[in-house]
Amino acid sequence: MDIAWTALALSLKVAAWATALNLLLGIGTGYLLARTRFPGRDLLDAILTLPMVMPPTVLGYYLLVLLGRRGSIGIWLQEHFGINLIFTWQGAVIAATIVAFPLVFKPARAAFEAVDGQLEQAARVLGISEVAIFFRVTLPLAWRGILAGVLLGFVRALGEFGATLMVAGSIPGKTQTLSVAVYEAVQAGQDEVANTLVLITSVVCIVVLLSAGKLAPGRVVHK
Amino acid sequence: MRLTSLARLLGTALLATAASSAMAGEVVVSAAASLTNAFKDAAQGYEAQYPGSKVSLNFAASGVLLQQIVKGAPVDVFASADQETMDTAQKEGLVLPADRQNFVSNSLVLIVPSDSKLAIKNLNDLTQNSVTRVAIANPASVPVGRYSEGALKKANLWDGVQAKAISTQNVRQSLDYVARGEVDAGFVYGTDAAIMKDKVKVVYEVPLEAPVLYPIATIKGSANAFEAKRFVSYLQTAPAQAILAKYGFKKP
Amino acid sequence: MQLDLDIRATLRSGKRSFELQVQCTSNSQRIAVYGPSGAGKSMTLKAIAGLFTPDAGHIRLNGRTLFDSGAGINLAPQQRNVAYLFQDYALFPHLTVRQNVGFGLARGWFNPRARERLEKVEHWLDAFHLQELAHQYPDELSGGQRQRVALARALVSDPAALLLDEPFAALDPALRVKMRLELSQWQERLGVPIILITHDPEDARILGEHVLTLRDGQIDKQQETLHEVKIG
Repeated sequence: MDIAWTALALSLKVAAWATALNLLLGIGTGYLLARTRFPGRDLLDAILTLPMVMPPTVLGYYLLVLLGRRGSIGIWLQEHFGINLIFTWQGAVIAATIVAFPLVFKPARAAFEAVDGQLEQAARVLGISEVAIFFRVTLPLAWRGILAGVLLGFVRALGEFGATLMVAGSIPGKTQTLSVAVYEAVQAGQDEVANTLVLITSVVCIVVLLSAGKLAPGRVVHK
Repeated sequence: MRLTSLARLLGTALLATAASSAMAGEVVVSAAASLTNAFKDAAQGYEAQYPGSKVSLNFAASGVLLQQIVKGAPVDVFASADQETMDTAQKEGLVLPADRQNFVSNSLVLIVPSDSKLAIKNLNDLTQNSVTRVAIANPASVPVGRYSEGALKKANLWDGVQAKAISTQNVRQSLDYVARGEVDAGFVYGTDAAIMKDKVKVVYEVPLEAPVLYPIATIKGSANAFEAKRFVSYLQTAPAQAILAKYGFKKP
Repeated sequence: MQLDLDIRATLRSGKRSFELQVQCTSNSQRIAVYGPSGAGKSMTLKAIAGLFTPDAGHIRLNGRTLFDSGAGINLAPQQRNVAYLFQDYALFPHLTVRQNVGFGLARGWFNPRARERLEKVEHWLDAFHLQELAHQYPDELSGGQRQRVALARALVSDPAALLLDEPFAALDPALRVKMRLELSQWQERLGVPIILITHDPEDARILGEHVLTLRDGQIDKQQETLHEVKIG
C-alpha cells in the first residue's frame, strides 16, 4: 500500500543522506583520533560516542531545543539562511546522522589504527604526499573495517525513531519514516499496514547486516 | 552448588513480587492525555480516602490506549476523550454498555503561541500564507484530531489547512509545539490551554456539532473489578468533581 | 657520498631516559653503524631519513642540508631523496610486486595499475630477478624474495643513499651469508651509497667500509675503523 512505499522511500532517503554525512565525518574523525595524539583525545572519543548510549528521546529533546524556533542554532539558521529544520526531512537527517555517528566513527578509528604505521612511513620516504598516502595506502587497507561500520550506521539511521519523532514529527511523504509509520499504524489499530511495514523493514535490515558480516575485518584479501 | 542457591533466590524474589501485586488493591487506569493533570490529582485524593489502595495511571491518546487494551493490556478503567473510541471498545467486547458513563465534557479551542504576531481569529485565518504550520493530532488515533478534522471539513477548510498540518501523537504534543513556538497555531482542548496559560493564548473556541463528551468505563473481566468500580464512583464525589472543575472540565 | 651528521636527542619513557649523541663525518660509499640492540642505531638511521626528528644538531648529505635545528631546517621524508629499507620490508600488502616497485614513480593519488608496464620498473624487476614474481602479492613470497622487492622499490627512484635497517635480521643464517654477498656485489655494481645499521659484526665487516660502533647512544671512537672492502 501507498503509505508503506512512501515511508520506505523516505526512510531510505534519510538513511542514505545520514550515512553519506557519517562516511565523511566518521572517516575524518576516525583518522584524526587514530593518527594524532593530544591531551584530551580519549575524552573527545567518549563525547563522540555519547549518541550511542544516550536515549534517543533525550537526544531528540536536545535537538528540538537547539534547532527549534527559539533555539540558539535555530535562530541563527533562520536569520542567515531562512531555514527551519524542525518538521523537515533534513531535520530527520540530522537526527539520524547524530544517532548513527558512533557506529561509523568507532570502527573507522579501529580500522585506521590497525593499519601498520610503518607502511605509511615507507610511502613517505618514497616521496608520496600525505594526502596521496591516505588514499593509496591507509584507506585501501582500512576500507573493509570502515565499510562494516558504515553499513551498521545505515541500518541504525534507517531505524531511527525517538529523536526523529521529536525533531521531524510525522508528516506523511515528508518525515514519516518507516519506524514512525509503524508506530502510528499500531496506534490506530491498522494491523495489516503495520505488518507490511515491519516486514519491509526487517528484510532491509537483514540484507544489510548480512553484507556487513561479509566485510568483517580479517586478513587483507587480494583479488 | 552456586547455581541452585541463585535459582532459589530468584524463585523467592519472583514469588514475593507476584504475591505483593495480587494482595495490594491496585487499579490500572488508562486515561486520555488531556486528563493527565486532573487524574493525577484525583488519584491522590482516592488513595488518601482509601488507604492501602493504589492507582496506576497510564496516559496517552485514546486510540493508543484502546489498542493496548485490545492487545491484552491489564487495564481496569478506561477513560477516553470521545465516544467513538469507547464505541470501538464496546464493539470489541471489552466494555459492557452498563459499565459505561459520560463523566465530563470539554471544549475544542484554537491556540497560538502567546508571543504570536499573526492575526489569527478564526478557522478561516489559518488559510493565510503567513500561517505555515498548524498542529493537529493524528485523526486516526487521537480524538482531538478527529474533532478538529470534523470542524475544518464542515467549514470546507480541511484541504487548505491539512497541507500545513503537523501531525502529532497526542493533544499534549500539540500543546507543547504551540508553547515552543514551533507551530503557528494548534488545536487542543480548553483544559489543555488552561494548563499553559502563560505560553499559549486561546484565539477561538471551535463550535462543534456534537459536544465533546468523555466516557469512562470499567473493563470487562478486569482483575480488580471492585477497585475499578470504586474509582469510577469516586470521580462522582464532591472532592473529585472539584478537581475536575479546577482544571476546566465541565459537567457532561 | 658525503655524510655530515651531528645529532642529539633525549627520549623519556616513564622514569628512564635515553640520550643519543651521534657525530659522524664520512666520505665513504659504505657506512656501517654497528652496535647492540637499544644502542640507538635505528633512531640514527630514521633521523637521516626524516622519520625521527632529533632535538638538536644537523644532518647534511652530499652538501645538502636535510636537518639543521639551528637554522630551523627539517626536510620532510618525502623531500630527502634517500631510500629506506625497513627490517620487515614494509611492502604494501594490497599491491603486486610490480605495483610495489613502481610505487614511488606514481606521484598522484592513484597507485600504479597492475597492468601498467614502465621501463624503469621493468629494469629493476629484471635486475633483481623478479620478473616471474611480478604479478604476485607480498604474502605469497619468501623472505629473500621480499627483500629483493623492497630493494628494487627503494632503488627505482635513484636515491642519494640507501639506508638499510638490519637488512638480514629476518633471514636464516645460510640465507644471510648469501644475501650479504649479493648485496655487496649489487652495491659495487650499481654504485649506490649505503648506510647500514646492524648488530651482526659480519654484516659490518663485509658491507662496511667506514664502520662506527654505537653503544648506549654514543659513538665508541676507539672502535671506529676504515678499511678496504674485499670482494670475494
